[in-house]
Amino acid sequence: MRINFWYISSFVISLFVIIPILTVFSSFFENTSNYYQVLKDTFLMEYIFNSLILLVSVLILTFLIGTGSAYLVSFFNFPFSNFFKWALILSFAVPPYIYAYSLTAFFENYGTAYTILKNLFGEGNYNQSIPKFDGLLGAVLSISFSLYAYVYILARASFLYQSQNIIDLGKNLGFTRLKALYSIILPAARPAIVAGLSLVAMETLAEFGAVDFFSINTLTTGIYNSWIAFDDLAFANRLSFFLLLFIFALFILENLSRKNARYHFNTKAGFKQKEKIQLSGKKGFLAFSFCFLVFFLSFLFPLSQMMYWTIKFPENLFDLNALDLLTNTLYLVTLSSLMLIIFGLVSNYGNRVNKNKTLNFLSTLSISGYAIPGVILAVAFITFVAWFDNSLVKNLGFVSIKKVFIGSILGLVLVYFIRFYSLAYNGIKSGYEKINISVDESSYLLGYSKRKTFLNIHIPFLRNSLLFVGILVSLEIIRELPITLILRPFNFETFATTAYISASEDLLEAAAVPSLFLILIATFFIIVTSKYILRDNNE
Amino acid sequence: MNKNFFEVKNVDFNVGNKTKVKNVSFAIENQGDVICLLGPSGIGKTTILRTIAGLEKIKKGSIILNGKTLSSEEINLEPEDRNISLAFQDNSLFPHYTVEKNILLGSERNKEKKDKKISLDEIVELLDISKILSKYPHEISAGEAQRTSLARSLITQPDLLLLDEPLSNVDQSFKEEIQVRLKKILNKLKITTIIVTHDSYEAFYLGSKCGIILNQELKQFDDPYKVYHLPNSVEVVNFLNRGILIPAKVTGKNTLENLDLGTIEGNFIKEYPEGSDVKLLLQPEDLEHDDSSNLKLEVVDRKFRGTNFIYTLKTSSNTLIPVFVHSHHIHQHEVDEKFGIKRPIHIDHIVCF
Repeated sequence: MRINFWYISSFVISLFVIIPILTVFSSFFENTSNYYQVLKDTFLMEYIFNSLILLVSVLILTFLIGTGSAYLVSFFNFPFSNFFKWALILSFAVPPYIYAYSLTAFFENYGTAYTILKNLFGEGNYNQSIPKFDGLLGAVLSISFSLYAYVYILARASFLYQSQNIIDLGKNLGFTRLKALYSIILPAARPAIVAGLSLVAMETLAEFGAVDFFSINTLTTGIYNSWIAFDDLAFANRLSFFLLLFIFALFILENLSRKNARYHFNTKAGFKQKEKIQLSGKKGFLAFSFCFLVFFLSFLFPLSQMMYWTIKFPENLFDLNALDLLTNTLYLVTLSSLMLIIFGLVSNYGNRVNKNKTLNFLSTLSISGYAIPGVILAVAFITFVAWFDNSLVKNLGFVSIKKVFIGSILGLVLVYFIRFYSLAYNGIKSGYEKINISVDESSYLLGYSKRKTFLNIHIPFLRNSLLFVGILVSLEIIRELPITLILRPFNFETFATTAYISASEDLLEAAAVPSLFLILIATFFIIVTSKYILRDNNE
Repeated sequence: MNKNFFEVKNVDFNVGNKTKVKNVSFAIENQGDVICLLGPSGIGKTTILRTIAGLEKIKKGSIILNGKTLSSEEINLEPEDRNISLAFQDNSLFPHYTVEKNILLGSERNKEKKDKKISLDEIVELLDISKILSKYPHEISAGEAQRTSLARSLITQPDLLLLDEPLSNVDQSFKEEIQVRLKKILNKLKITTIIVTHDSYEAFYLGSKCGIILNQELKQFDDPYKVYHLPNSVEVVNFLNRGILIPAKVTGKNTLENLDLGTIEGNFIKEYPEGSDVKLLLQPEDLEHDDSSNLKLEVVDRKFRGTNFIYTLKTSSNTLIPVFVHSHHIHQHEVDEKFGIKRPIHIDHIVCF
């Protein structure tokens, strides 16, 4: 095999991305401080138990909300069903930690709910009768309403690919609508729903902002604390190792449960466009109510709560240096997205032209980065830089380079890169899969070199995919909290970190303004990409 | 000194580690010649084209174009450095460019070539694709895509043009017309071409030479007439599926004897000693119908093929023999009727195995 530029580039990119995974695994053999023993005797079981409860509850709730709403908008016509089709993905604009702030702000003693009741019915002792959504319940609700859209999007896409033929087949077998849902529609959409739930599971286990806000001890907050409070990087890595095993176990379990079942639909031959069922009267109203409730709770509620506070405490708006935060956020977003797109493209092309087993294996491993919580990545990155720096300084007498990578924009962008690399890589890959290999070969035969084929043939073809990937990555970076929190330079804030810091100082009102900005920017990005996210099968 | 324009010498053609066609040697003598490679599906014809184009490597033998070695055990010139154009069987158009842009991308290769022999307009007209120029590949039919791909390959004016089943998706009604046009363009541009096809009529019409690939080997490489009338092996006969082999005994310098048909005269392609037992190739056009003949055989089947009928006749030893009869022949014979064969039977080229 000839080693070429594309091979080396892909190899180096993949290797760089898997560094944190290797660091986490290698840390398993290192010594840790006494904190491990202390924790093992005290809170470790609680961490694991809380993580499990959180995971299971969120999975159940997101399944019900996500699949239910996807089923309604895919199979039925009812008032505003076309509006809900895309409005239901707006919940992505509200990260779980901002949802948590809204939930608390609304239901806390003398909170928004209290104010509403007071304005409606006058003074009274309402605090006792207003339910409190805090602790584990608050975390479950915050995460579920923020993340159900993963299940919604993937389930809806799968429902769209289901041919009318299989629905007709169900009717022909005498199935009722409910029986068809259980026996045909849901089983056929299973891989998509499970893929959505897997994403939810990973995000839930990785969730930091909301669980930290509600003071719930999970493995992720444990990792953060063992590093921040006990300065025990090795133990933080060891906890990360457990969490990674947990996530891999989920994948394996799902794969085993599928056995040899096939779920593919031939989308060309024999595909028949679905005829949506018209729901009117009571049924139409019920369908509308369900979707509206989901839309309201997931998006309108946190948005209006943040708006309410911004209006109620306008001084926060003036105190906030919004322009600086916007510049910082956009700076990070632009830098990281560009880097992700360029390297994602190069790596994809390197894999495409080289068809090499080692490279293929490395790429597969490198895209598992998305499964690794941001906290772990940040900690593993610091561990690696510290080790590398020590080796350089001690063995070779170099000047310390720690500051170049830790607490710097460069370090932050590099870790974003590792965290969201799989998103960029897979997004570009799915675009590449639409380009038949004979297109490349035709290009070579027309005299185009590999570089020219890449620049003149592939990039123009992939421009829509690249735009989509860029915006998707941007959306993630805008919402990202733990990595930014750990690795940002001194005095460098984003909307996410400003909101978090205010909330952690119990200044929820002050958290409202950056949260609102964050929601609005994210909403803008979602609306721009909704065309791609909700692409129908005939488009 | 190598006098052939293009030459394949003892090459094993591989896909990955699997050898598809072994020890192939053939040559194209003059620039501008067109040859065809014929063989059943999956035999490795496309692999041969891909290897010549540089998309697959070789471990044995050499491929030489105009005196320059393109591929050998040591050398492998990249596809983009060969000036060889390959029109794929399946759609390989750039999906994000219009038909016109797709074709123009081909012309970019030889921008500096001063002796441009054909323009975009001419190619478009010859291949009848003017109406689809502004369309995208997904908006055109498979046949139109194939013609566009052909146009793109032609406009590059390569040193060697490789066409993989170039007309397999073109409608039957339009196919012959396109074949005529294609032959005209190739003649005009003097582009040396290798066409791969499984359609023997297409190969016989377009190629000045035809190669038959069977059982991992190039069985015969000759001009179409010889391939058809003088096949060099039983496999080639079976592949062309145009005749049967019947037992016969050589009775003289120009005669054979078959138990059912009697004496058969003609010119032997190869000499056989008198008295030797051979298998004689009998093609449908070798026998003539004659109602007044006393050699009568039973009709077991009749196929109408437009310009002719093919009768299948059964001999007394139960051998089935195909015979062509012009469809304007005065009367037809039904199944089970007797059918007269003109005697003496004369075959121009007697092929035996």
